[in-house]
Formats: sequence, C-alpha cells, structure tokens
Amino acid sequence: MPTMTLAQALRNALDIALERDDRVMIFGEDVGKRGGVFTITEGLQEKYGEMRVFDTPLDELGILGMGVGLAAAGMRPVAEIQFIDYIWPGFDALYSEAAKLRFRSGGRFAVPLVVRSPYGGRVKGGLYHSQSPETLFVHTAGLKVVIPSNPYDAKGLLLAAIADDNPVVFLEHKRMYFMSKGEVPEGYYEEPIGKAKVVREGSDVTLIAYGMMVLDSLEAAKTLEKEGISVEVIDLRSLMPFDGEAILNSVAKTGHLVTVHEAPRTLGFAAEVAAFVAERAIEYLDGPIVRVTGWDMPFPYILEDAYMPNPVRIVRGVKKALNLL
Amino acid sequence: MSPRKTRSRKVAVGKEVLKKALDLTPFTDEPLRFIDEDGHPVADFSLEDVGLDAAMAVRIYEDMVLTREIDRMAWVLVRQGKAFFHISTTGHEGTFVPQLHTLTEEDWVAPFYRLPASLHVRGIKVEEIFAQYMGTRLDPLKGRQMPGHLGHPDHKLFAHGSGVGSQFAVAIGIARALQYRGKGMCIAYGGDGATSEGHFHSLMNFAGVYNLPVVVTVVNNQYAISVPRSRQTASKTIAIKAMAYGFDGFLLDGNDPIVMYYATKKLAEKARSGEGPSLIEALTYRLDPHSSADDDKRYRTEEEVKYWWEHDTLKRMRTFLEDMGLWDQDREEALRERVKAQIEEALNRAEEAGLPDWEELFHDVYAGETPWHLLEEKHLLAEELKERPLHNPLKGGH
Ligand SMILES: Cc1ncc(C[n+]2csc(CCOP(=O)(O)OP(=O)(O)O)c2C)c(N)n1
Ligand SMILES: [Mg+2]
Repeated sequence: MPTMTLAQALRNALDIALERDDRVMIFGEDVGKRGGVFTITEGLQEKYGEMRVFDTPLDELGILGMGVGLAAAGMRPVAEIQFIDYIWPGFDALYSEAAKLRFRSGGRFAVPLVVRSPYGGRVKGGLYHSQSPETLFVHTAGLKVVIPSNPYDAKGLLLAAIADDNPVVFLEHKRMYFMSKGEVPEGYYEEPIGKAKVVREGSDVTLIAYGMMVLDSLEAAKTLEKEGISVEVIDLRSLMPFDGEAILNSVAKTGHLVTVHEAPRTLGFAAEVAAFVAERAIEYLDGPIVRVTGWDMPFPYILEDAYMPNPVRIVRGVKKALNLL
Repeated sequence: MSPRKTRSRKVAVGKEVLKKALDLTPFTDEPLRFIDEDGHPVADFSLEDVGLDAAMAVRIYEDMVLTREIDRMAWVLVRQGKAFFHISTTGHEGTFVPQLHTLTEEDWVAPFYRLPASLHVRGIKVEEIFAQYMGTRLDPLKGRQMPGHLGHPDHKLFAHGSGVGSQFAVAIGIARALQYRGKGMCIAYGGDGATSEGHFHSLMNFAGVYNLPVVVTVVNNQYAISVPRSRQTASKTIAIKAMAYGFDGFLLDGNDPIVMYYATKKLAEKARSGEGPSLIEALTYRLDPHSSADDDKRYRTEEEVKYWWEHDTLKRMRTFLEDMGLWDQDREEALRERVKAQIEEALNRAEEAGLPDWEELFHDVYAGETPWHLLEEKHLLAEELKERPLHNPLKGGH
C-alpha cells in the first residue's frame, strides 16, 4: 500500500471520483491552474479539462449557489472554499438552500454537494485562517459534517461524501495536509459516514476527539498511561450524524467522559456530546463530564498557543473528569 | 513618415492624453495618466496644473520609497523567521501614497491587506507597522491579526478583517455617518478579485442610492492570487461598472502617482461637498507573489513580471521628478540613507517590545465587564500555564 500525506490522499480521492463518475465537477478559487492554495487539486484540471475542474470568480455565494444548482440538475459538485473562515458570504446558499432543499421539496430534490474546506489552528494563521466553526454546520439540519484525522479515513470518507445524496461539509485540518502520513489503498473505497473509530483502547476514561485533536488526545493518553491512567480515545470522524452508540459503549465501560475540540467552548460539539451522554447514560458516570476546548473568543494570532487546546490541557481535563484535580 | 512628422504626431497624441486626464474623463478604455510608462510627462504641464506643488511631489516620492523599503524589510523578517507571513505592498506605492496624501483628518480610510507598508502616510508609526508584521506589543492590534492588517480609530483607519471585500460593505456605514455629520469622506479599498464579492455590489448600490461621500478604489493588480482579472468579470473595465450604479467610474494608471493624486483629490473633494460617490479603478501590478505562502510561477510568466519591474512606479516617479528638476542622485542617496536609518530604528523598537499580554485576550472580547465564563477560562489558562510554558513565537522555533 502506498504511503500518502493527507493532501495526497485527498487529491487521489478527487482524481478517482472524477475518473469514475462524469457528473463530478470540482470548482472554487484558485483550484484550476494553481491547483488550489494547498495543492489539493493539483494536476486535475490538466487531466480532466476546464469544464470539470475550474476556477470561479472570488465569490463564495456564487460558488455554493452554483453547487446547489448543479446538484439539483443532476451533477455531483465538489466545491472548495479556500478557508472555512471565508464561507460566510456563501452561507445563505448552504444554510437556506443546500440544507433545506430536500425537505422543502417534499424529498423530491436531492443536493449531493460536497463542500471541502481547510479548518483549524496551529499554523500561525490568525483570526481568519484558523477557526473551527463546525458546530454551525452541525446545527444546520440537512447538512452532514465530516472531519477526518488521517489520510486513510480522509480518502474513504471523501469518496463516501461524494457518493452521498446529501450536502456534506468536509473539513480538512490544514496543519495536517503535509504532516499527516499513512498507508492508503490505491483504488476506490468508502469509509462510512456516521461511524466513529476507537483509535486507542482504554478502561479509565473516554476521550472523544476529531480532526487534529485526535493526535493531541493520543499524546495526552500516552502521558497519562505513565501515570497509570488508561485512556480510550475515540475518533468521531463524523459529527453529523455522529456515532452515539460508540460513545455510549465506551462511557459504559469507563464511566468518565472528556471531549476535545479546537472550537470555542460554549455550545461547541462537546456540549452536544455531554448532553447526549447525560440524557442516556448518566447512571454510568462516576465523575463530571469535561470539555477541553478553545476559549470563547475569536482566534488570536501571535498568542495562538494560549488559545489552542494541547496535550497539557487534555491531561488536566482528564484528571478533572477523574476527580484528581 | 519622416522623423519630424512622427515626433509631431507623438506630441499631438500626448496632448490628447493630457487633456483627457486634466478633464478627469470618466469611463475611458485606456487608463488616464500624466506620465508615460517611463515616467516622462505625456505632454507639457506644470505641477500646479495637477494640483501639486514641489514639496508635495517630492514628499510623495519619499514616502513611496519609505513604503517600498518597509515592505522589502518585511520579506527579510519572514526569511529570518521573525515574521511568519507577508502580503506585499510592493508595486502598489504609486496608488496608495498619493491617494492617502489627498485626505484630510476628517476623512476615513477603509483599507485592505495591500496597504500596510504605506500607512505611515496616514499617521501610523513605522515601528507600529513592523510591530504588526511581527505581532509584538507595539502593534496597535495587539498581535491579534495576521501580518498585513492595520487599523486605528485615532487615524480614522478602519481595522478591517481578512475576508476579501468585507471592508467595502462596512464603508457604507462609515460614509453614511460622515454624511450625517456633514464632514469628511471615506475612501474604500479592495482588489480586482474583491469586486466579485457581494460586498462590492452592496457598497456601489448603497453609495448610488444615498449619494454617499465615498471614493471606492479598486486596486486592479490584474490577479486575485492565480486568477486573472479576465476570470473575475467579463466587463471591459471595472470602472465602467459605476455607470449602472448611477455615478462615474475612472480608469487610472495606478502606477502614475500624479494621476492618482490629481484624480483622488478632486473626487474626494466632490464627495466631501455632497456631490456624490465615485469609483476609481487603479490599474497596477503586484510585483511579488500574492504572499509569502504563494508561488506565482505556477500562474504567471517571468517575462510578464519583468516587464512590470521595468516600469516600476518608483522609477517612473523618480524620472518625473528629475524631469521637473526636483531630484538628482545626491538627493536620492541622502533619502536612501535616511530611510535606512529610520527603518532600522523602528524595527528595533518594534522587536524589543516583545509578546503582548495573554491576559488581555479575555478582556477584549466584550466591552464593559468581562463575562463570568471568560474569567473562568482565563483562570483555567493561568492554571495550565503553571504546567507548561507559553510558546513565544517571537523567540523562534515551535
Ligand atoms: C471571502 C474570502 N475568500 C477568499 C479569501 C482568500 N483570499 C485572500 S486574498 C485573495 C485574492 C484577492 O484578490 P484581489 O481582491 O484581487 O486582491 P489582491 O490580493 O490581488 O490585492 C483570496 C482569494 C479571503 N481572504 N476572503
Ligand atoms: Mg488583485
């Protein structure tokens, strides 16, 4: 099996999707000749031509509106938003159109649109190249939300997203594009949307994460192991729908729950996980439910290290969940 | 044609070009200009004819040189690992510097990320520009924004976001406030790519409907990262778009500081006196890659870039001053030395200022009392920082 970076795995998935289905189209700012600012679409325009892989004007509303229209007319559009921080001029097309078209048409229209976009911090990107606004998409009924943490999952989930008849927001951690490497099968395969993965088994505490925070969580788990604390790490992979069963199974075993994300704390995804577990499994819990998150502030630039969740913050969170702090 | 006829034909054309510029003709297909691409006057005119005097003409050139050198130093900072990003002003000095010089203290500026190296003209200190590039304590924004953003209420300089075109929509409100108060105007900036965003339409539409005191300046450097202007709009020029919104648009040679000064001065005055908005399209070229994260070889040829370096706005302005008898080699050398010393001193001050306080992050989210949950989060971070050092990127490494 070849080893690929996250960037290569994504490119490979797009290449396969374009190859096997002539309804697939890729578009966005700088995705054509430039191959995207992170080179994810490099070489694809050359290979598939300008009708299938093309630059758009600098207009997110146009990009996402076009995505909805293409999908409604039978295509399988894959739109790139250059940074998720810049999706807002186009949010109307996502929130009011893509998410609601199926429902409002009595299920007659489908919107098989994929919106790919880099998210996340630790790239010295400041306020507008670091944010994690996933909750806003999860809170928009009708959208699926996927956030992979490694090249293998990224490829399989992206192919599944393109095959899915729902609009899918597919967030890629930009810090991981060239840093994250792993074995990736060459051909077509799908990873199921809505299924989590236990990436480390443990018995004392359940640590829920997604995206880059899976890596920080694994690092924290190693530190805690030295202190005799056994941590189970679950990579959610999809936030909508999310794998409630995997969470409950783990919490039933460990009795302790910590959720980690880069996004601000208040009403972040960790709040949903906490509510979900509190509603269904409070009898299994032997300690407080803990959130390890970014702070309730816009993302800072030079002091980003003060904002970003990190293994130390996660270790502290786990100890709090275990009533050790 | 005989050489004499060729020359007289050239003179006639030059006079026509001069007249079009002096008349401030809207909606032309060719950019208005007072100096040709080498910097010589297109025809005879005096400084007075173009609203300048010798002191201001020299001042504009000196500030353009300072701007250029600040920008070059920013690239050095990136190479040295003292700044982590740069988005260049180089090549745009002939647009920004003269325009900013036409503004009064009553006027407002809604800038974008191409302007920072030129904002000393608006009263930002050079050390503050460097501090912003590095994110040190002297940065008026306290290191909150990526390099390439500046703003300060004291200078009536809006602290713009990074979303392309976002400042256009905000300029509607600034201009409306000025209109209500009855003084000043707003100059709103954005790139050619930014004209594709709805924000540009909103500003143009509101400006026309309310007759707002605004000069919209589109800095057409012919690319939005890799995407050429022709892929942003099928319109022949950007300036012509103003026609549909009910006001005049002017295509200017953005590398001709004289026409930028002349036109902006007139249009700003028109706005201030209640006679309505204007659109300027300043045709220029970005001499650097889009940013330190870009590789422009992927989408434009070296010959193209070379052509524009040869017709660099700085060279053109210097040639013009020399033609006017206002500049020579001695002055140039003296200026270069002054600028070098000024930059060195400012850079030192900016650098020495060190990291801003992390505690303030929690207090700048809301005006007034900091809500309880942020105080709690501040406490959590304080506890965390007892167990690990706060990473100081200014000290290098990660
Ligand atoms: C809403 C939004 N979308 C995308 C981006 C990413 N981006 C930053 S600059 C840029 C190109 C802007 O081009 P232009 O408006 O021509 O200005 P220039 O950089 O050429 O001066 C893009 C796409 C952004 N900052 N904001
Ligand atoms: Mg541009």
